[in-house]
Amino acid sequence: MNVLEIRGLTKKFGNFIAVDNMSLTIGEGEIFGFLGANGAGKSTTINMISSLLRPTSGEIKILDKDIAKMSRFAKLNLGIVPQDLAIYEDMTAYENVSFFGGLYGLRGAELKARTEEALEFVGLADKVKGYPKNFSGGMKRRLNIACALAHKPKLIIMDEPTVGIDPQSRNYILNSVRKLNEDGCTIIYTSHYMEEVEEICSRIAIVDHGKIIAEGTKEQLTATITDVKDIRIEVKSLVEVAEDQLRLIPGVRTVKLDDHEPVIRIHSDAAVDNLNRILKQLMDSGAEIRAVEEQEPNLETVFLTLTGRNLRD
Amino acid sequence: MIKDIVWLMLSTLQRTFRKKSSWVLFFGLPVAGILVSTLLYGGAGQPLLRVGVVNGDGSERLAADTVRMIGNLKEVKLVEMDAGELRNELASGNLDTGIVLERGYSEGLRSGKPGHVGIQSAKGAAVTSYIKAMLNQYMDNISAIGRIAGSDQPKFDKLYAGFQSANFKLVVNTVTDISGAKRMSYQSIGFLIMFMMTSAVNLSELILVNRENRTYFRILSSPISARTYVLSNIFVNLCVMFAQILVALFFLIYVFKLNVGMAIGPMLVILGLFSLTSVGISLVVVAFSKNSAGAGALQNFIVMPTCLLSGCFIPLEIMPNAVRRIADFLPQNWVLESFEKLQSGASLGSLWFNMMLLFAFGLMFFLIASYKFGRNNDTRNFV
Repeated sequence: MNVLEIRGLTKKFGNFIAVDNMSLTIGEGEIFGFLGANGAGKSTTINMISSLLRPTSGEIKILDKDIAKMSRFAKLNLGIVPQDLAIYEDMTAYENVSFFGGLYGLRGAELKARTEEALEFVGLADKVKGYPKNFSGGMKRRLNIACALAHKPKLIIMDEPTVGIDPQSRNYILNSVRKLNEDGCTIIYTSHYMEEVEEICSRIAIVDHGKIIAEGTKEQLTATITDVKDIRIEVKSLVEVAEDQLRLIPGVRTVKLDDHEPVIRIHSDAAVDNLNRILKQLMDSGAEIRAVEEQEPNLETVFLTLTGRNLRD
Repeated sequence: MIKDIVWLMLSTLQRTFRKKSSWVLFFGLPVAGILVSTLLYGGAGQPLLRVGVVNGDGSERLAADTVRMIGNLKEVKLVEMDAGELRNELASGNLDTGIVLERGYSEGLRSGKPGHVGIQSAKGAAVTSYIKAMLNQYMDNISAIGRIAGSDQPKFDKLYAGFQSANFKLVVNTVTDISGAKRMSYQSIGFLIMFMMTSAVNLSELILVNRENRTYFRILSSPISARTYVLSNIFVNLCVMFAQILVALFFLIYVFKLNVGMAIGPMLVILGLFSLTSVGISLVVVAFSKNSAGAGALQNFIVMPTCLLSGCFIPLEIMPNAVRRIADFLPQNWVLESFEKLQSGASLGSLWFNMMLLFAFGLMFFLIASYKFGRNNDTRNFV
């Protein structure tokens, strides 16, 4: 059974096409990575799956039920973890989860048990009486997740659940995603951290300009990139690097200077032998080369090759 | 749907009233408004008239009886003093009026030629008229006895004794003037109207606050529809409005003991109808605001000026004609007019036009708000 099925989904805002004839199928038990740069159309798609936006055309089915006709059924089986925290600061962690659980018709002992279970799951069992205003960023993120779990949805959409949190909380959340998946949940996961998607997603779709431009497992996606090589050059300092001159070298597609370390990443046509020219250009400009490495294409290479943009652009 | 509405209502009420500031805002301020109104428009009661008497006629019986008569008058607090004290007390405002019985006062009455009496006050005829009327009446009676008795002292004594012990006597009954109390309760309702409107906007603003903290969209991604959510907010608003009305009227009538000049039932009906209008206006404010700060600004722009123009703070009679014409288009004015008519003895049934108008105002605002809400399609803040 397909947990989510999208057929010919289109959303227009005036003349702007945010989602363009998108089709997608997600089966039971998948962790599906949904990748796209800002403005690619993934948020609009998620909004339509959540029934917050009405599609201009197309069809969305959750558990084989058309959400336009059986909205309540679809919503009962859907959990949303929004990118921005959607919790009440003036309610305790318990009250937050209990309130959102109640929206799905849970009451009494069942609601209590499910609330405790959800808080236990995200590691906030000892903070039931705590107010989110006193929580760390990671704890708030976990509470944000718990609020989407009490009603035990079959499909959970997690939009950037690890934004702005410490590595410990991030690992906790990633492990929680895996555990949810093991418990039978299907998950749609979006993130700006490519390594997270590579780590946990069983299948990935890359969205650009409202369309899915590539879809498959990580291996399938990287296998499509046979004409590109990924060159990693470590230098002493990026100050001397003439980025524009590097781009002019035949075969070079993109040049990216790392924000955090003195590393240049160059995507180049695999068929063009240009490594010597690249290194000569760097040395001519005064850069001191420390290491050179030609890497196997990864998801980031795929994304960059297909969209011409970094995921965080 | 009803279960969902109840769930949302209970949660909203719980969240709202766990804050002490909400109790102050929704109940404390209206009561304070009534209190302020009673202080501003107070003075309609029946205070004692403080009268000082200077008996310059010594131990004369008629003078002493006159002092006793004044002292026995209702609503009068009498103090005997000398002329110097009287001047000082009147000047300092400790006395409302003073009576000076000069030497020869008793003799004048006895001979049928009243005189040798003076009334002093720093507060004018409004204060002295009562005492003056009572004193004149008394002196006229005694001097009439004096004229009839002539020089026959035993006859005077007999007639005077008969007069003193007569079956007939002047009974002073005070007719309560409730116009002041009516004015106070009228203005108190004006304050209540303003607080009802601000409270309604504050509660409807929760929709915007929930949008700002994104919980609104999380709610809408659950089986709860936008209509159910807004309906729950309206019902919470109406519940708080009714509670506010009950608390305000309780304080007005039973705590401050104001004679409002009408029955509670019609008051509840009129204010209940106005609560619909208030909620309608608050929804319009929220529908046309992008955030809670904007709603606050729009509230200030709408609530205070319209309350002022419709006579909630200042009686409409003292306003220019142009303002009175504007007031006709404001729902608050129709509430106040209804109360005025009820105070004048009109029945609730005779106010059908006012009630229809209030209902129409409410309906109009609800329709405007629902039209605007229907066009809001902004989910950008959610995911």
